[in-house]
Amino acid sequence: MDKLLKDKKAIAVFVLPAFILFTFILFIPICQSVYYSFCDYDALTSPKFVGLKNYKNLLIDETMKTAVKNSLFFLIYSCVTQLIMGLILAGLLTNIDKGRNFFKNVIYLPCVLSSAALGLLWMFIFSPKLGINQILEKFGMEGPLWLMDINGFIILPMWVIAFVALWQYVGQSMMLYMAQISGISKSLYEASYIDGCSRLQSFKYITMPLIKPMIGTAMSLNAIGSLKFFDLIFNMTEGGPNKKTHVLATHLYEQGFKYFKYGYASAIGTILLVLCLIMTFLINRAFREDDR
Amino acid sequence: MSKAVKVLIYIFLSITAVIYLAPLLWVILVSFKTNSEIFTDPFALPKSIFIDNYVFAWTAGNLGTALLNSLFVCVITLILSMFLGSTVSFAIGRMRWKLSGVVLVYFMMGMMIPVHCVLIPLFTRFAKVGLSNNLWGIILPYLTFSLPTTIFIMTGFFKSLPGELIESACIDGCNIYQIFLNICMPLAKTGLFVTGLMTFVANWNELLLAMVFISDDMKKTLPVSLSKFVGPYNTNYSQMFAAIVIAIIPTIIVYCAFSNQIVDGLTAGAVKE
Repeated sequence: MDKLLKDKKAIAVFVLPAFILFTFILFIPICQSVYYSFCDYDALTSPKFVGLKNYKNLLIDETMKTAVKNSLFFLIYSCVTQLIMGLILAGLLTNIDKGRNFFKNVIYLPCVLSSAALGLLWMFIFSPKLGINQILEKFGMEGPLWLMDINGFIILPMWVIAFVALWQYVGQSMMLYMAQISGISKSLYEASYIDGCSRLQSFKYITMPLIKPMIGTAMSLNAIGSLKFFDLIFNMTEGGPNKKTHVLATHLYEQGFKYFKYGYASAIGTILLVLCLIMTFLINRAFREDDR
Repeated sequence: MSKAVKVLIYIFLSITAVIYLAPLLWVILVSFKTNSEIFTDPFALPKSIFIDNYVFAWTAGNLGTALLNSLFVCVITLILSMFLGSTVSFAIGRMRWKLSGVVLVYFMMGMMIPVHCVLIPLFTRFAKVGLSNNLWGIILPYLTFSLPTTIFIMTGFFKSLPGELIESACIDGCNIYQIFLNICMPLAKTGLFVTGLMTFVANWNELLLAMVFISDDMKKTLPVSLSKFVGPYNTNYSQMFAAIVIAIIPTIIVYCAFSNQIVDGLTAGAVKE
């Protein structure tokens, strides 16, 4: 038995295929990408080491500033709104019996649909002459140019896209919280009602502390998801108007595969990677620490 | 709970449900209209069912081929990731070796890494070895990026299996491969379903990698071929709507049939994370 489970040859057979694949497709490319970020590299030349030049250029790149601003906006917006809406929906759905499955499934539906297709769909709904603006027109109002307005610190198209992202992915957070809430023993709540708690109080003093670890999980999923965010923006605005709706991922795509500045795009990728690592670390720290 | 509160909750949830369903129903509705009808009379039922949109979208957009490509890529990735992921998980969760913890951490790293960071090195390397513009060139990265989650969940499943099972199989003279294939794999069915579902859904909808690696129209996957219908020169909205409907309808049908299993499965996967 012991010999069987310590069989070195079998372990190698089990682990090596995936290990080799992982190393070649993920680990080595990551190292290469970090190296390229210090290189002058495009489609025609081979990489040539130039030190921090790409990063210095990033500092004076206006689109990069917009992209960082928009990505951070997205990060904060999705962490906050997904937490609030997710908790509200989960709290309401666990308190009703009739139709719970229906509402749950409807709200979760967009999570499994292609965000490329949904992005196109919402682009039409928010386009100047279709969808929402047609409804507003019926009431005699003139709707704004949802996806083309460029006034303000966070421009209107970013709010629209952030709303669509919330619409699409809030089901995920809701389900995570629901799974956790339905695991809490009913007797805890009954005891709290006997002690005179209202429903809101029992939510605050029983539900919230008990689902805290899950808030950490959901939030780190949201944070990484919003940093990676690409499909919706690409199909709704393609970074426009005037490059004002770029986020890190779309900026990277444009620099790397439209202008073929591989070195420069790798520098953006490295920044994205560092942001992802920092966010995971911070959220894990904030929510796991007081578990003990 | 008082009745008034309950009514308020249902009103709130109904409004939410409308916000979710209205866009999807609207796109189906307008996909049957002619282009001018969309602008003059957007919310009425179509005067006559106008199928030409679908015919055009299907043929001009190569959506049939795209559907088959997507299916091919996703099914191959699904099978390979289940198999490769389970073997690693079995070795980490059940077998005894010094480096198992280190190897698990190595694979878990992949969960934090966004696919964007490896695009450029992979793109240049794949071009050299003939994997660009090749469906296998997207299957390999899809497979790699699905491994961390699969391994994480499956290791948990294998660890939770009772040790006596393996012991008795061992006494009966099974070798380690038989124990894995005939005893442990069938018992981890739930885990396989959950991880398989996550892998399939994620890859079915993936856009960025497929867009970068595939340029040949006949090899495009479904999300990529949709982008053909957008652009400043394209003004035929109704055909785009038909294309969007074709792209999301298969998922919606499968979802309606198995919604509870799908929602619970995907959540179970994320809860484990």
